[in-house]
Amino acid sequence: MKCRKCKAVAAVALPSHNTAFCPDCYPVFVRSQVERAIHRHKMIAPGDRVLVAVSGGKDSLALTLLLHELGHDVHGLHVDLDIPNSSTDARAACEGFFAKLGLPLTVIELRREGLAIPLVKSRIKRPICSVCGKLKRYYFNKFALENDYPVLATGHNLDDEVSRLFANTIRWDHAYLSDQGPLLPAESGFARKIKPMYRLTEFEIANFSFLRGIDHVIAGCPYSGKASFPIYKGLWSGLEERMPGAKVQFYENFLREGRPVFAAWSDQQGQLPTPCTECGYPTSAERCGVCRIKAMVADDEK
Amino acid sequence: MIYIRLEPEGRTMHFPRLGTVLQLLRKLGLGNNAALIIRDGELLTPDRRLHAGDEVVVRTVTSRG
Repeated sequence: MKCRKCKAVAAVALPSHNTAFCPDCYPVFVRSQVERAIHRHKMIAPGDRVLVAVSGGKDSLALTLLLHELGHDVHGLHVDLDIPNSSTDARAACEGFFAKLGLPLTVIELRREGLAIPLVKSRIKRPICSVCGKLKRYYFNKFALENDYPVLATGHNLDDEVSRLFANTIRWDHAYLSDQGPLLPAESGFARKIKPMYRLTEFEIANFSFLRGIDHVIAGCPYSGKASFPIYKGLWSGLEERMPGAKVQFYENFLREGRPVFAAWSDQQGQLPTPCTECGYPTSAERCGVCRIKAMVADDEK
Repeated sequence: MIYIRLEPEGRTMHFPRLGTVLQLLRKLGLGNNAALIIRDGELLTPDRRLHAGDEVVVRTVTSRG
């Protein structure tokens, strides 16, 4: 198999694009996909400071590198979950990577907030993955707003987005379907959120990370065994194998044809979030989800 | 013999004979884009041939949390 651009021996074959690239030409392809996503959805305005949520995995670290190389003003934010045999490596990967690039990184420790994930897991009956996701989103958004970052970028890739869209579609969840996409504008106490890697699959990002020598965490979270997204990802990988391009078609067609319909429905409902009575975070209830989690953990300690 | 190391599990296995990367992926029940196939620090596409004595890393790419 030869590189489409220079005809050297290919290192990465991409059936969904019906093409292949060598180690030198492949990063150029990845970069063009991210540039196109940023440009098409007007994700970053000139001069915007970009806060990148980093986990230590390949996606968020690759995103950091790409945004940095594209000339954006990048600041990293990592939430240390305090999970044994996992969080120390994740944090070290982030700190090492940012130090190597000479970029600023802030670490928020959930232990200091009284919300170390093992403690929360032991006190809450809900699936820990959804609680953990809620906590991370809360602190990412809070930090972005409190420190005047106009943009919060995450490393969500095409597989993440397709899995989420599939999960929302299975449930016909109008509310989630109305605002899923690579760009969520700033509103009602939420920072603008962008997903510049949404056009790239996990496989494509893994290849990029390898070729660019990104030292990322490879092991999965020890608590994610019961998560449903890997099941959806497996289903879609099987479909993509037989129908190359199915993922991007499903997602892009949703953005074009489906989302506007659900967004219009959502606008008719007209329910805007209000500030949490305890912390001011936007919520549809009186008290936000994170304050409720804190209260549950504290009650059990008493 | 061709020596295989599976990541992130860290499990090792070996096959007496394999023709191509694609055959390796099929033996492991993996799709073409489910894993990076790495030999001597080089990424291999499914059509590349494997040889006796090769040490190959199979790194699955699906992130879990």
